[in-house]
Amino acid sequence: MGDFLNLIADNMQTFWSYTGFANATPGHFIMILVGIFFIYLAISKEFEPMLLIPIGFGILIGNIPFNMEAGLQVGIYEQGSVLNILYQGVTSGWYPPLIFLGIGAMTDFSALISNPKLLLIGAAAQFGIFGAYMIALAMGFEPNQAGAIGIIGGADGPTAIFLSSKLAPNLMGAIAVSAYSYMALVPVIQPPIMRLLTTKKERVMRMRPPRAVSHTEKVIFPIAGLLLTCFLVPSGLPLLGMLFFGNLLKESGVTRRLAETARGPLIDTITILLGVTVGASTQASEFLTVNSVKIFLLGALSFIIATASGVLFVKIFNLILSKKNRINPLIGNAGVSAVPDSARISQILGLEYDPTNYLLMHAMGPNVAGVIGSAVAAGVLLGFLN
Amino acid sequence: MNKKCLGLLLVLLVTSTAGMFAQRATSLRINEVLITNETNFQDDYGVHSPWIEIFNTSYASVDLKGCFLTNDKNNPKKYPIPKGDVLTLISPRQHALFWADDKPQRGTFHINFTLDPTVDNYIALYDSNGETLIDEVTIPANTLGVDQSYARVTDGGDEWEVRGNNGKYVTPSTNNVTLDKNEKIEKFKEHDASGVGMSITAMSVVFVALILLYICFKIVGNVSMRLMRKKEMEAKGVTSITEAKDKKLGRTSGEVFAAIAMALHEMQNDVHDVEETVLTISKVKRTYSPWSSKIYTLRQTPIRKR
Repeated sequence: MGDFLNLIADNMQTFWSYTGFANATPGHFIMILVGIFFIYLAISKEFEPMLLIPIGFGILIGNIPFNMEAGLQVGIYEQGSVLNILYQGVTSGWYPPLIFLGIGAMTDFSALISNPKLLLIGAAAQFGIFGAYMIALAMGFEPNQAGAIGIIGGADGPTAIFLSSKLAPNLMGAIAVSAYSYMALVPVIQPPIMRLLTTKKERVMRMRPPRAVSHTEKVIFPIAGLLLTCFLVPSGLPLLGMLFFGNLLKESGVTRRLAETARGPLIDTITILLGVTVGASTQASEFLTVNSVKIFLLGALSFIIATASGVLFVKIFNLILSKKNRINPLIGNAGVSAVPDSARISQILGLEYDPTNYLLMHAMGPNVAGVIGSAVAAGVLLGFLN
Repeated sequence: MNKKCLGLLLVLLVTSTAGMFAQRATSLRINEVLITNETNFQDDYGVHSPWIEIFNTSYASVDLKGCFLTNDKNNPKKYPIPKGDVLTLISPRQHALFWADDKPQRGTFHINFTLDPTVDNYIALYDSNGETLIDEVTIPANTLGVDQSYARVTDGGDEWEVRGNNGKYVTPSTNNVTLDKNEKIEKFKEHDASGVGMSITAMSVVFVALILLYICFKIVGNVSMRLMRKKEMEAKGVTSITEAKDKKLGRTSGEVFAAIAMALHEMQNDVHDVEETVLTISKVKRTYSPWSSKIYTLRQTPIRKR
């Protein structure tokens, strides 16, 4: 009887050693709070719910404490576990190009085609990437790590994941979470900078309405876009290739089903897997480091620099443009390629100062140009630092 | 129908040809050769034999099976590399080592000829058709001493050098240049510690890429606008360009902008009709396609056999 009771006691002790309570550390609780905060932001404030819900819940999944020495194959960093297998799409970098396929299939480049000078705003906003790159170098990061961190300023989650998986895989979790967090916080970060850098007169500036774009132009765009950008930066091919391919599926008009799949079920599936696995990769033991804090700081700086450089570029650009072609500086922030959030900020802020001035269509131009610009910048960084 | 068949045929032709090229071994290089082996690398029988190292320069796995190694210009098919050995698959940027011991019965990597330091040694690698030369090298007579190798300076590079006993290591089955650091990153650390150079370069590339797109679509846009105006002129019977400009032909009408503005206004202010409570049935025209036909996806009713 005594032996039997000892066995029960041993079993209970073993069971206890396997529970989350026995293996929890303060780090786990901090990360669980972060996950809950993300879910709160997504539901209550509606900040990028499509991203923050999967990431937030992924953080919860990744931070359930367990006995890491037991070989349970449950953790995302344990080879062969289900989460680890799903995480391969992130580490080997094939989720981001599929997301880009979907983005291409849902993006209307008409605003950009009708007013191609808006492309340059998308280029200017990429200063955020390189501003953060320089600051990261000054903070002691290696050039490849600094490049991966800088890309947060591109405000493009898939690009950030793609580049960091190649340049600094050990920092990928922090970079991805930082990129998506700041993308969600675009409505908080951008407006004060836009107000600070513009005058009231500039904010009510009316832009020339965009012209109608023909079907032929829309079909030429992805083909010419691919050839021109990828001949220059072949290392951007996985992202740009899929982006323009998706757009051709949409614009060709003869592959409706493929386009619908790319912008519907496919991108939704990949977004779910990407969000959950990126969230789960923030396992406290791997994630809570000084570097992660630095990356969050640099992420914020890169967004600020990108927004400011977009707005300032428009102001400078207006100096050489004729009066009828001038651009409202409030769409400068949209060069930060958080599609369509940053364009929506331009619209909301524009309406705040003139309720009849709709900037959304104009802002979509630099917004989608920003997507191309950040993918090109990622290609350049990959080419130089890989 | 004929067009469809022709298109299908073309696609099949292109994909099958692409597959053929992808599997070709043209990215292989003879990378290092050692002729007089006294104390160097031993084979799996513990014997010091001459060896030939093959390097895969590509970033994809390449299979050597079916290729030919030879030391005779008149007999390109002298040693056929056997099929059926998984070890002939060379991983990206990796090596395979062949023992020139004239004992092919000892395994895939033991070839049927040997090398002689006193004569010119011609070594060639041929593709599986036995006709396409992939790589060749001639090691002049008496060039190599004992345990010295004739190697490319960098893996797969064009320049060759003698290695061993002169401060340069003989490197069988490993890189000719040991990569203990990332040269690109070291260069940036040394010459561009602040990152200004990288920022200027990369931003220039980003701007050039988008300026090219800008120029392209400025031209495409102008051509498109002219064509649209021309079409509208024809439709409305206007012949003078000045008149067309005055009438703003080819430009979007004010009604279109009004409709867009109204839609935005409604979205912004949640102004919406009571559509949610109204059931709208609209007939949707669906083109028949066997891909979406339910008839093909239905399971047949089981027939009970008596």
